Amino acid sequence: MTDHVLRVGIAGPVGSGKTALVEALVPVLIARGHRPAVITNDIYTQEDAQHVRRNLAGLLDPERVVGVETGACPHTAVRDDPTMNLAAGAELLERFPDIDTLLYESGGDNLTLTFSPVLVDMFFFVLDTAEGEKMPRKRGPGITDSDVLVINKIDIARYVRCDLGVMTSDADRVREGRPVVLTNSLTGEGLERVADLLESYRKVPA
Amino acid sequence: MTGTTTLDALLVSLQLTDSAFPSGLYTLSHGLEGYAQAKAVDPESMPELLADLLRHSVGPADATALALAHRAAEAGDWAGVVAVDERLHASKLNRELRLASTRTGRQMLDTARLALGGEELERYAELVAAKLTPGCQPVAAGVAYAAGGVPTEQAVASDLFAFAVSFVGAGLRLRLTDHRRAQSALRALAPVIQEVTGAALERELADLGGCVPAADAMSGRHERAEARMFAT
Repeated sequence: MTDHVLRVGIAGPVGSGKTALVEALVPVLIARGHRPAVITNDIYTQEDAQHVRRNLAGLLDPERVVGVETGACPHTAVRDDPTMNLAAGAELLERFPDIDTLLYESGGDNLTLTFSPVLVDMFFFVLDTAEGEKMPRKRGPGITDSDVLVINKIDIARYVRCDLGVMTSDADRVREGRPVVLTNSLTGEGLERVADLLESYRKVPA
Repeated sequence: MTGTTTLDALLVSLQLTDSAFPSGLYTLSHGLEGYAQAKAVDPESMPELLADLLRHSVGPADATALALAHRAAEAGDWAGVVAVDERLHASKLNRELRLASTRTGRQMLDTARLALGGEELERYAELVAAKLTPGCQPVAAGVAYAAGGVPTEQAVASDLFAFAVSFVGAGLRLRLTDHRRAQSALRALAPVIQEVTGAALERELADLGGCVPAADAMSGRHERAEARMFAT
């Protein structure tokens, strides 16, 4: 795969807001002049791919959103044997040579889900406040080794007895200072920072 | 063949057959999910379905293609390799089956080139990259086994075994078997694999292709299923 395509992983537990982050991030990337495409792994039904296509209708060609079946092993598909994702990415680039950003979304918990460095240049791990303030303290490779940790749904923290201050400082501590971003994907809060961090991994400025 | 080269060929086939060899095989159920969704298979009949698919689909199609491609690659007959690849591709009636075969084939080729090396794999990769041949998995495997010095019979039996392992692995995830029954089923299948290997070695190009209308229908329905875990 060529240097001018930035490949980004978006990982996290079911329901933490990966799809919402993708849907919020794509418009920001497009506004910055980029041409993204989305590959989603956590499909059992076509639910996620359809959701992204529907919410980004008019902004992103539905053909630029594809799903990859993973035989009930989404973590294998992005970590141990990423070949089917590599194939899906290569097929997208062949069809749409203008793509400069590939977003790979995959569901999984803090222990199982990391991305193969052959598949992506960097990856985000998405937690949300409703999973509990304790999550960063539980560590696991997803939380500690991801390039950027996103704590999503900050707007509902107060309703789920989550102290954002504690969650953030714990995250900073277990990640030894590597980036942590607080987001509300529905209002777009924190998304510019997410996009800035993503951009910092681009090898060739677009 | 000397003792060392025999052992080396065995190690090559163990590596290519290992379910950890990255070619995306774990994303395929080889038709099993379609049968499961149609409630046309249960834990008792699953081994019989596997034996039937080996005899009437995988054996006459994939295993035969592997044997023919293996011999052609060994002989440096690249037009022969392409002819096998094209015929196998054409014999797969469903889109999901064709796509699965070329996706896993190309990915297998990429890793085999890196891990095994050899002129045969380079040549075949050039043909696939230039879109002069589809790059079906059994053909890529045939070329890889040839590059690794694995004899035809062993190559065919190895790939059939890999298929069987992948099939029962899908059965495990579909809750059609458990970790122990799966192993008993695999071992009980050995005579079928031997029989299918022998038949594949005898078959000629004109006879390449399986005939499994029920499985093709299941696969066709699976392509349009509302929910699914596997690509086939």
